[in-house]
Amino acid sequence: MNFEISKRGNPLFSRIHPFLAEMIKGVAEDPWEEYPEGSSRLLPPPGTDEELLTDWADHVQPDLRRRFDEDRSQVVQDIGTMRSGRGKSPVWSLEIPIAHVDAWLTTLNALRLAIVTEHGFGEEELAHKTSPDLSTFHGIALLKVNFYAFLQECLIQGLESRESESCNQDSD
Amino acid sequence: MMAKPDLLESPGTKLSESFDLPWMVVVHNDPVNLMSYVSMVFRRVFGWSRERSEQHMMEVHTKGRSVVWSGGREKAELYVQQLHAFLLLATLEKAPH
Repeated sequence: MNFEISKRGNPLFSRIHPFLAEMIKGVAEDPWEEYPEGSSRLLPPPGTDEELLTDWADHVQPDLRRRFDEDRSQVVQDIGTMRSGRGKSPVWSLEIPIAHVDAWLTTLNALRLAIVTEHGFGEEELAHKTSPDLSTFHGIALLKVNFYAFLQECLIQGLESRESESCNQDSD
Repeated sequence: MMAKPDLLESPGTKLSESFDLPWMVVVHNDPVNLMSYVSMVFRRVFGWSRERSEQHMMEVHTKGRSVVWSGGREKAELYVQQLHAFLLLATLEKAPH
């Protein structure tokens, strides 16, 4: 799998193996449906003040949930644009409009948090100190968490490379 | 080394708020959040330089928490909401006397 910035200035994943393409399609999962216990991490309390907690639950959390759902809807649309090549083992490509990158970062992060919380992964597992056992659901979940982290890092790098280009242009 | 939070209260602060203790916005460590992501979020939310963002990010990473802002309650709540929108673990705490 390759990652670069396209001529249009968008993050572009290419030569995506079909197995990884299926994992990317899995980013469309609704964490609240797929990981009901794990999704509790997505709307944490803001503190311990009783009045604040009530206000947060009534007004802030519903708004945050709506924003997360909107971001996921955007990601689902972008996943629909993935293209596969021809041949016996076609590879896929996915170009993400730069304006959608924030939605992808939030959606990927939400999924990773929900999966980790649902499965109870510890710091050692997350720090790659153990290899995932891919014969188990637990191991596949850890593979997802790590792969989605890789996608996040690529997108952040892409954003930062655009920022530094913009800075260089401004200074010219 | 603990980073000192900026006090960003404007001179036009309401009288009722000016006698309130400042509220702190605290970001807590979560091993899932990527360091690069946390640093990016700090730059976005607070408009910090890369250097300052990474300083606070490392404080979260090594000490478990970092006070990223201190001031009036209303603004503190807004910052916590913005940080939650990026899925960071953030809380409001009353500043110590």
